Amino acid sequence: MAAEPRPLVEMRGIVKVYPDGVKALDGVDFDVYRGEVHALLGENGAGKTTLMRILYGEIRATSGVILVDGRRVSWRGPWDAIRSGIAMVYQNFRLVEGLTVEENLLVYLSSLGLPRAEARRRVERVVEDLGLSVDMDAPVEKLPPGARQRVEIVKALSGGARLLILDEPTSNLTPLEARGLFKLIGKLREKGVAVVYITHKLREVVEVADRVTVLRRGKVVARVSRGSEGFNEERLAALMVGEVPRPSSPASRPLGGEVLAVKDLYVAGDDGSVRVKGVTFTVRGGEVLGIAGVAGNGQEELVEAIIGLRAPLRGYVEVLGRRVRSPRDFYEAGGAFIPGDRAKALSPELSVAENAAFIYYTASRALLLRPSRLASLFDKLVRSFGLKAGGPSTPVSSLSGGNQQKVLVGAEFMRGFKLLVAVNPTQGLDVATAAFVRRLIVEAASRGSAVLLISSDLDEVLELSHRVAVMSSGRIAGVLARGEATPERLGVLMGGS
Amino acid sequence: MPEILSDLTTVAVLASATMVPITLASVGEIVSERAGVVNIGLEGIMLLSAWASVVAFLIGGAGYLEAYMVGGLLGLLLGLLHGAISVYLKGDQIVTGIGLNIFAAGFTVLGTYALWGTFSNSPSFQPMPGIAVVAGVKVSPLVPLSIAAGVAAWLFLYRTVTGLRLRACGEDPRSAEAMGVNVGLYQLAAAGFAGLMAGIAGAYLSVDYQGVFAKNMTAGRGFIALANVAFSGWNPLVAVAGGYLFGLFQAAAISLNIALQEEAAASLINATPYLATLVVVVLVARRGFRAPRWLGRPFVKE
Repeated sequence: MAAEPRPLVEMRGIVKVYPDGVKALDGVDFDVYRGEVHALLGENGAGKTTLMRILYGEIRATSGVILVDGRRVSWRGPWDAIRSGIAMVYQNFRLVEGLTVEENLLVYLSSLGLPRAEARRRVERVVEDLGLSVDMDAPVEKLPPGARQRVEIVKALSGGARLLILDEPTSNLTPLEARGLFKLIGKLREKGVAVVYITHKLREVVEVADRVTVLRRGKVVARVSRGSEGFNEERLAALMVGEVPRPSSPASRPLGGEVLAVKDLYVAGDDGSVRVKGVTFTVRGGEVLGIAGVAGNGQEELVEAIIGLRAPLRGYVEVLGRRVRSPRDFYEAGGAFIPGDRAKALSPELSVAENAAFIYYTASRALLLRPSRLASLFDKLVRSFGLKAGGPSTPVSSLSGGNQQKVLVGAEFMRGFKLLVAVNPTQGLDVATAAFVRRLIVEAASRGSAVLLISSDLDEVLELSHRVAVMSSGRIAGVLARGEATPERLGVLMGGS
Repeated sequence: MPEILSDLTTVAVLASATMVPITLASVGEIVSERAGVVNIGLEGIMLLSAWASVVAFLIGGAGYLEAYMVGGLLGLLLGLLHGAISVYLKGDQIVTGIGLNIFAAGFTVLGTYALWGTFSNSPSFQPMPGIAVVAGVKVSPLVPLSIAAGVAAWLFLYRTVTGLRLRACGEDPRSAEAMGVNVGLYQLAAAGFAGLMAGIAGAYLSVDYQGVFAKNMTAGRGFIALANVAFSGWNPLVAVAGGYLFGLFQAAAISLNIALQEEAAASLINATPYLATLVVVVLVARRGFRAPRWLGRPFVKE
């Protein structure tokens, strides 16, 4: 992309110091050309979103300049940026759910002063240009994430955007939708639209980007163009993390006694259909049992039955010889639980310390909550688990996803347990944090705890588990020992044959 | 037969007279709730405006029209106050509304005593004369106007871009703001409109319908309007029908009381319009009408 003399957008020496003194960006240079897909790669908290929010006018840089078409600009807010042709597509989208697609587009385009007829014409042109099919009368709430994203892109382009900032665009998409997005990005490039692609996913960078700028702790550590040496996942991972994370693996030591016993378990789903059909297994102290399988084959109901949240139709669950009939039984027997959905375990408006205390005291009969105890819980999260948060009273909702996961995982680990049931424990975490959580799980097992790991990440299951059970249509299709569990053999079992 | 016919006419005219305050307040509140601001202080605003317009009429020497203007203006100001507290100070909308109701109940009684030396009511006066609609039947001009208000609100909400932008605020203020809508301004204006309509409704009750201010003369109509808002599925046209339904029940109750002349039954009969309206609300609300998503929650920007 070197043929063009002048970049569409250029940022020079951008510094951002937040009011609390955190230096998020430290002299960053960044530019994008027309028809270029420029990936902005970095871990959570590396400053990539901050940099783009500055470009988009949402926040102001402490120092540094922005040039658009070679002219220096200074935004008062996002609308200055939008009028100059810079648009942002947020991770969680900014569409009004109760309105239809067309109504959403109309709200946006009327803000740009376009009359209804003109707005409609522009939308039609963009949709036709990109060869998209968009159901204008569909309520946004009925659309899958991939379709919402297309609406966002149509919205931006019919508003005259020449530069699209995509913030972690695949985080809510299915793999199929992601492929559709990559194709669409290809078309945008042909039309001469510039794209900034914010991500921490290496595979996507290699797949779509023409150029990548790697940020680490607020500084640019590398700029790599497609075709040049180092434009591959391994090299970029090293640049992004600073070191290549070492895979952890379970220690092979003698196993302890039986901790979790699941016997002939039948569980019904919300709709009343039987989702778990006669599952039997045990997990011993010091052992990690992985459960692999395509999501929706009864894993969710199995987990809920194990922690006592869902009463089985038949069969039973025992933790250290005690029958589990309610979550209280599970926790009092020494169980710990990391749910797959953070939102189910954390109260977003409560503080970090309160959330940690809530988890920490799960099985406790303590009556009073001492402020000093709250503070020490928080300190420990920061020291031992690398939590980055303003303070004990910061609401959890203001933390990044990775840090929320640290609160959740950290509090469970501080509490101590004899059995850990973890569902997708590293989902949405950056590389370093995910490696950290995996190491914790391995260490817990080597201290003698039993671990049941349910993960849709096959690599994770293979890396951590002593044995892997494959679930298919509510049954255990097979159990493979470490060593005989290869992705191929697991794949056959998952298929249900 | 002719007697029944004239009875029916009486009930119909009475119904159209009693529907006005509910309809006006409902239409205003629908616009406000569509923008995301709920005002359960409608009752209080109505009561204060009913009182203030009588004061303007009896003491200030205002005409009927000016009395209406006083009531409407006071309603507008109170609505804007509620809006400002909700939108800019991020106050709890329910608490503000309750505050308005309690203040209105106390203040109007005290004010009545201060001016006229009795806690119960102002001196009576000749209510505003009606206009002829059909065959010599006279109704208040507010009857056709309140129906027109419902139609106009519907056209505004569903047939104008500004109405669309307003609805976006009540559904998802964060996205609306990101799409360039000045959410605070829309919500404030909508809350002011709800206040204005409740104010006119209050003035109607005292100056136009009854020709007196009486203690607690709104008698829960503000709350029935709130129920009517939900019952209508936040649709102003349905709300007009809902207002008329309440009006019919109330007119029937009044006629029945006059016919029976039974003191003991009166309280029960007087309660039926409220009960009947609530029953209808409950039955209809099951049909899956959906409230604006962000209704009643303050929108706090990051």
